[in-house]
Amino acid sequence: MRAGSVTPTATATPSGRGAPAIRVQGLRKVFGHTVAVSSVDLDVPTGAVLGVLGPNGSGKTTMIRMLLALSRPTAGTVELLGKKVPAAAREVLPHVGALVEGPGFHPFLSGRENLRRCAAAEPLLSTQAIPDAVERALQRVDLAEAAGRRYRAYSLGMKQRLGLAAVLLVPRRLVVLDEPTNGLDPAGTREVRRIIAELHAGGATVLVSSHLLTEVEATCTHVAVLDHGSLIAAGPLTALLDGEAPALDVRTPDSTVAVQALRAAGIGAVTCPDGVRVELTGTDPPTVVALLVGAGVAVHEVRRWRTGLDELFAQLTEGNGS
Amino acid sequence: MTASEVGNAPLTGPMRAPLVRLLRSELRWVLRRPRTQIALGLLALVPVLIGIGIVATDGPGGSGLLTQVAGNGLVLPIAALSISLALLLPLAVTMAAADALAGESAHGTLRGLLLAPVSRTRVVLVKAVGVLAVAVAAVAAVTVLGIVTGLVLVGSSGTAHGMLTLSGTEIGPGSALLRVSLAAAWTVGQLAAVGAVALAVSSATEHPLVVLAAVLGGLIVFGVLSTIPALDWLQPMLLTTGWFAITDVLRDPLPLDGLASSSLRAGCYLLIALVLTLARTATREA
Repeated sequence: MRAGSVTPTATATPSGRGAPAIRVQGLRKVFGHTVAVSSVDLDVPTGAVLGVLGPNGSGKTTMIRMLLALSRPTAGTVELLGKKVPAAAREVLPHVGALVEGPGFHPFLSGRENLRRCAAAEPLLSTQAIPDAVERALQRVDLAEAAGRRYRAYSLGMKQRLGLAAVLLVPRRLVVLDEPTNGLDPAGTREVRRIIAELHAGGATVLVSSHLLTEVEATCTHVAVLDHGSLIAAGPLTALLDGEAPALDVRTPDSTVAVQALRAAGIGAVTCPDGVRVELTGTDPPTVVALLVGAGVAVHEVRRWRTGLDELFAQLTEGNGS
Repeated sequence: MTASEVGNAPLTGPMRAPLVRLLRSELRWVLRRPRTQIALGLLALVPVLIGIGIVATDGPGGSGLLTQVAGNGLVLPIAALSISLALLLPLAVTMAAADALAGESAHGTLRGLLLAPVSRTRVVLVKAVGVLAVAVAAVAAVTVLGIVTGLVLVGSSGTAHGMLTLSGTEIGPGSALLRVSLAAAWTVGQLAAVGAVALAVSSATEHPLVVLAAVLGGLIVFGVLSTIPALDWLQPMLLTTGWFAITDVLRDPLPLDGLASSSLRAGCYLLIALVLTLARTATREA
């Protein structure tokens, strides 16, 4: 994966597995005077789960739309599964499932009828296989019981799940999900994560966009960060997350006592607004917590604090006020 | 499935879903839509209302074509077609065309079709067939209910279920029905032109209302233009100019030049509008 300022050396080339599932070179999109996507280079190895991370309006959706030939790039090229898009769209897109800009269905049709209509257009499905494929997809997203109801009456989460069902009609090699957890409750979010994990286990390459770092952390093997249309970081998730010294955030009202106890044990610590930040060089979280509890410090919450991606993303989102 | 099954097998070349399946899915969608069904139901009421009106006034009380209907039942479907063609039939067809591309785009479902993928040319083809289906269904509704109402309510005094032409001659029931069919087919042709124009507008917007406003506004403007004597030279170019030709089917012998020239004009509108739709859809951001 080509990378920007954060990890210029992190190049995750596909390890002997042929062409990358997605290869983007010099991709650019200009609307009037606005540069929505600016010179993005990105390789996504086959089988990876790439999280495209960026605040709202950072160009995630515009980039995805160009990947899928829904929108024409102002400049640059896109290859999916080793073929140029849009030139080879008819060859590639049958193997690509996508949920872009929210689910799109007809309100007056039931969930099942909507899916049948989607299935009718799928080149990989034979006409006889459609009813079965539709039922299986409905079951996979847990909509089998509500399948007979009109789409109009669906909750936001059900609509989103129906969109996922359309993606799952056919075994896909590449799945592109634009903000798939938008509007979902925690259970729905877990469902989406489970489906992404299943796709990953089945060998599919998945591209999932989100403006939530936690989402990407939970599901992705690789990450690309977009800001103002530019790719500012890209690489394997672990490389970006633990690039620098790890630390632990401990929320406690007894921060002074805590810092004294930790320093006495030779562990670096500083106070911060809600408690203390503990350096994890030469120690691990269980030791730190045991030590603090032993010193009589009231520990409310312990959280791994990560430099690199976390901080970078916090700066990004704060800078954009979103 | 294993990773190698999904991930690494070579692609199998360009593929597409069978056209018949796409068309069937489109027709199902178009004809099952509540608003299509309501529109068809209301259109079917037009000949019934005319029939009731004529029976209630008991004799030639109206003007023009309607006076011919009294005691001459098979003129009713033609009168109903002629009256509906002024606004109601174009409205029904435009509604379908507005939903076809602009509506699908607004719902995000056009994206789904393109991602499947269905090629953009095929999308236009499938949508055009869907709009044509509504035109045929609407004309059929008016015609069939017109024939039934004509025969049941108005009846056919002295013409033995045939038709009394404007020229004063009588024709048998067989050729009368043939003439009704000719009027219906001609009307479908005119509506196809309206539908194609509506589809062209529909391909350029994602607001169905814009399509409705543009096409119905256009028809009204055409009507106004055709009443201005200084703009006589414009007449041959206006789609609506030839719409009076439908009454030609009530003449004996049947004059074909009016029907032919208006059909030719509709053909030109249809062709130009379809080319515009294809061009616009090819570059559309979905």
